[in-house]
Amino acid sequence: MAKEEILLGNGAIALGLVEAGCQVVTSYPGTPSSEILPELIRMAKAEKLNTYVEWSTNEKVALDNAFAAAITGKRAACCMKQVGLNVAADSLMSAAYMGTVGGLVIISCDDPGPHSSQTEQDTRFMARLAKVPVLDPSTPQEAREMAVTAFGLSEEFGIPVILRPAIRVCHARQAIAFEKIETEGRKASFKKDPGRWAATPRFRLILHGELNRKLSKIAERFESLSRYNFHNLEPGKEYPFGIIAAGVPYSVVHDLLREERRKELPVLKIGTPYPFPEKLATEFMSACKRVLVLEETDTLIEYLLRDRQKVLGRLSGHVPAQGELVPEVLHKLISGALVEAGLEPVRDLDDLEASEIVKGLQLPVRKPTLCPGCPHRPAFFSIRKARPKAIFTSDIGCYTLGLNLGVVDTCLDMGSAITMASGFYHSFAQDKIDQPIVATIGDSTFFHSGTAGLINSVYNGARFILVILDNLTTAMTGMQPTPALGIRADGSPGKPVSLERVVAGCGVDYIEVLDPYDTKAMTESLKKAAEYIREPEGGIAVLIARHPCLIAYRDEAVPRKRVTITDKCVQCNFCLERFECPALYHDQALGRTAIDRQICSDCGVCLQICPKGAIEEVEAL
Amino acid sequence: MDTVNIVLCGLGGQGILFMTKVLAQAGLDKGYKVIGAETHGMAQRGGSVVSHLRFGEVESSLVKTDSALFLLALEENEGYRNLPFVSRGGRMYVNTETRDDFPIGRVRDYLEKKGILCRGLPATRIAQELGAPLSSNLALLGFFAAMEGDPIRAGEMRSTLERISPGKFQEANLRIFDAGVERAGEGNPA
Repeated sequence: MAKEEILLGNGAIALGLVEAGCQVVTSYPGTPSSEILPELIRMAKAEKLNTYVEWSTNEKVALDNAFAAAITGKRAACCMKQVGLNVAADSLMSAAYMGTVGGLVIISCDDPGPHSSQTEQDTRFMARLAKVPVLDPSTPQEAREMAVTAFGLSEEFGIPVILRPAIRVCHARQAIAFEKIETEGRKASFKKDPGRWAATPRFRLILHGELNRKLSKIAERFESLSRYNFHNLEPGKEYPFGIIAAGVPYSVVHDLLREERRKELPVLKIGTPYPFPEKLATEFMSACKRVLVLEETDTLIEYLLRDRQKVLGRLSGHVPAQGELVPEVLHKLISGALVEAGLEPVRDLDDLEASEIVKGLQLPVRKPTLCPGCPHRPAFFSIRKARPKAIFTSDIGCYTLGLNLGVVDTCLDMGSAITMASGFYHSFAQDKIDQPIVATIGDSTFFHSGTAGLINSVYNGARFILVILDNLTTAMTGMQPTPALGIRADGSPGKPVSLERVVAGCGVDYIEVLDPYDTKAMTESLKKAAEYIREPEGGIAVLIARHPCLIAYRDEAVPRKRVTITDKCVQCNFCLERFECPALYHDQALGRTAIDRQICSDCGVCLQICPKGAIEEVEAL
Repeated sequence: MDTVNIVLCGLGGQGILFMTKVLAQAGLDKGYKVIGAETHGMAQRGGSVVSHLRFGEVESSLVKTDSALFLLALEENEGYRNLPFVSRGGRMYVNTETRDDFPIGRVRDYLEKKGILCRGLPATRIAQELGAPLSSNLALLGFFAAMEGDPIRAGEMRSTLERISPGKFQEANLRIFDAGVERAGEGNPA
């Protein structure tokens, strides 16, 4: 009998991969994609499958690896977040031309909102750019089915296929029924064909032609793929208004029409936006006087519709051009479009008064902040103390929250702490201005995208301090191991890659490893490093601030020093502003700063912070 | 059955995700169709955390404003913040220490007008007294289940909790859940 389990959308996708007999899965973590690989590992272990899995150092590395596996005839998948696909774009564009032998499925998770990303970019446009098919699921269950479909398509047409779940699929939870998984592994075999796998431009032209032919065949297939592309038109009937919906917005439309008993409204669901099932869309469009297009995150379907006169969407201003299409937004804009078409609206959502009341309450907005005991906090504290006038370039990870401490001025993309530091250096040096620069980057981000920029900085003579915030994990995305740990994705041992040696290998002569919990020593080290970078023979100074993440390593990471705040506190708020530990707060009853015992980590670092010495250790724990 | 929409909210670290998991699993055990949405990533670093849960024949994972029958808040302000989700005749269960001014004036008038019932429970204190200060989520869950009985009875939710609690936390989890259930029998516990 089928068992039913509540799975995260990412778990449902992992299940689809396993059911499709996928033998190789590579990934770099990033919200909202991070749970796919761990869920797959959990399932593969339960089913005793010999699946090869890896946390790759970045998304391009992940895709190249998966691509190689796929052209040995195996089914391979590669999982990432949407901005990760930018990193893998070089690989994707070329892989589209070369095609594949075994199924190759790229799962790129979008983040309309954005909740945890630099941009709201739409993976479907990347699919269009690369000329590969893309499937856009509306629910976890559909994502699981589409993962299986994607492998079938990929293999039948010899082309990589993208599965594009949005965050509301990835981080939805749904009860999913499944049976025992039975898959058969394939043996790797590589047929040499340099004209294809190492094609020169002349052959690339041929491959491009092949790719175009594959796409037209797939487009034909999508016209009749009624499992994912369907409508409820009655033959010969004309409608004043219809809706084309895709992805997550489709699930909202589905629920809305059901609860409003408006199932007679024509809806075309598009699950395969590229190559676009144009005949199906034209059939739908010609039966409707006007059509509202609801898709996330951008305007792919809208662009692909021929007769845009009838279309209400982002281009006509009917749909917001940025932000997530949450149910209340869709509800209201559908209602408006119905009225515009002379039809009955859906019910009024009575939420305005409540929203006004909430606004009036002026509730405190808790901004995200580094955890109590986080080693990044004292690192930032020391950096600001030692180099108050510096430009602080930073990067992507928990430590972007150094913003709150005034020690993050820039955050462009993965690895940009280093590349922007060298850019700033040369820009000021050109004008003979001695501008201090301190770059901060996390250990995992450094392995992901740091080395090329560091080599470039050394080679071209930039001078700045680089602090690698080494918390021995990929904390932001859920504690995935880094290459330095010697632990692989499935928990098996791997060969640790020393961060110090990588930095030295990039040509850096000044490297110091220190513990950021000792703010005095770190401040001194930063000052010494600042001297080094100004010496005639100086260059880039790298400080590796190493202390384990408290969430990943729990008790091992804290010295367990219980502290208290005494009456010496003069309410100068220095600790609240410059250290910003969530366990420190202003207690109105006491009339001074106090410690929130519930969340204090007993790290004891604040002992070093108070200028009045009002924070004291109470007892050894 | 009609769709039941539930919004659970609080702050990062308060155990919203585990609370949602227990409730979702209890719903599945009872034979409901279950779908929901949760917050990950940046927002979990101490900020507001919201989780949506829906029982019924639905496909969207998000609850719409003016559509939730239940709002469970592990922190009072977060409860107010999510007020727009609660529909007419809905019910709110809020973890709060406040006795006199709860819910606060403007909110009280609004709730009355919309026929929304609001109950407070000192869930943090209950959990603290039982030696597990971070388990206020389970006290509130027990209280909610015992007060409502529908869509899931307290006994049913308890067996689910018993089954899915990790071994070393099982006993403490059940003790705190039971303490929440007990409070439901005491009239207005806030």
